[in-house]
Amino acid sequence: MAQRHLLIVDDSPLVTDALRVLCEASGYRVSVAATAADAVTRYVADPPSVMVLDLTLPDGSGLSVLDQLVERHHTPRTVVLTGHDDPAIRERCLARGCLAVLVKPVPVRELLAQVQSIETALP
Amino acid sequence: MHATDPASGFDLRVAALEAQLLDAQRDLAELRSRDALKTQFLSNISHDLRTPLTAIITHGEILREGMLGELSDKQLDSVNGIIAGGRQLLEMVSEILTYAKAAADRLRLSAAEFRMHDVLHEVRAINESVTSKRAITFDTMVEPEVPSTFADREKIIHVINNLVGNAIDFTPIGGRVWVHVRQCEDRGRDCTIVEVGDTGIGIAPEHFELIFQEFSQVDSSASRQHHGTGLGLTIARRLVELHGGRLWVESEIGAGSRFFFTIPTRVDGPATPAHC
Repeated sequence: MAQRHLLIVDDSPLVTDALRVLCEASGYRVSVAATAADAVTRYVADPPSVMVLDLTLPDGSGLSVLDQLVERHHTPRTVVLTGHDDPAIRERCLARGCLAVLVKPVPVRELLAQVQSIETALP
Repeated sequence: MHATDPASGFDLRVAALEAQLLDAQRDLAELRSRDALKTQFLSNISHDLRTPLTAIITHGEILREGMLGELSDKQLDSVNGIIAGGRQLLEMVSEILTYAKAAADRLRLSAAEFRMHDVLHEVRAINESVTSKRAITFDTMVEPEVPSTFADREKIIHVINNLVGNAIDFTPIGGRVWVHVRQCEDRGRDCTIVEVGDTGIGIAPEHFELIFQEFSQVDSSASRQHHGTGLGLTIARRLVELHGGRLWVESEIGAGSRFFFTIPTRVDGPATPAHC
């Protein structure tokens, strides 16, 4: 069975380092992107099973990553991980097809459970 | 010598007053501009502080969950301390962020229907470990006649949690804290009234309004034991008023405190404060 692959998109190395340690300890292969443009490039080159996406990126909104991937005929399975605990943002993300919206700092078990439940539902 | 023309004296006085008015208007504009800068600074710094805190807490949880190997009991205690400290700091940062949003009038209600019973269940779960550690009895009661509420659930939880957190902090070991929800009516408007009481140290009447002022600390020694940014009650009152309700305290030194807040049973947005 192929190693499960996550793409973590966040402009803070502090956050991506922590998530990388967490996800690699749980058996995932992890790619990291710090900008929206980098996220699209990495996703297209090596599509992950799940993308963990921050909304505030230096070159645009995290949701713009989704738009660009959809334009390229991808269907990203996305967990949004944001610092904004705002019901309006949550609704906007879910309406754009994100499968879960979690607020930092999310308990590590909760994040892993979300990612695993999305993977379990994979065809 | 010649006599002063009364009309010209009057004109001079008017001119002086107009100059003073202009100065005052300039000062006011300057103060408003500085206040807006302060609010923006608080907002920016609060948001930026969340990132490293998130990393600290996540690393702590990775260790605590044993994902990088089992920890000894002493190591586990230490890591739990890091996580608890990080979460407390994060709460304070969130409080400052909420205050900054309120100051900039950027707080908005996101109303939905919910049961107060479910909200109190959540509040109990959040405070269970601390009440149990300090042997504080924590009672909650929702009167049967209380209908479901249509308001901003997260903001109502924030208010109750803030009041309960204060009640616990200022109540000695073995004391009692309670939340009692009942129904009331004001000028034909249905309201829910929430009482958060404690058997703690109490508050002197002259401090009843002071405690709701930003950055206020009635008793610095007692407040130091609390995580206090000095903003909790200011924010709680602002959130209640945003719902069209009000928040007040009744207390006596040595005889505990009872905080009350009202919210209209159905909130459509910012409204005129209701009084029960």
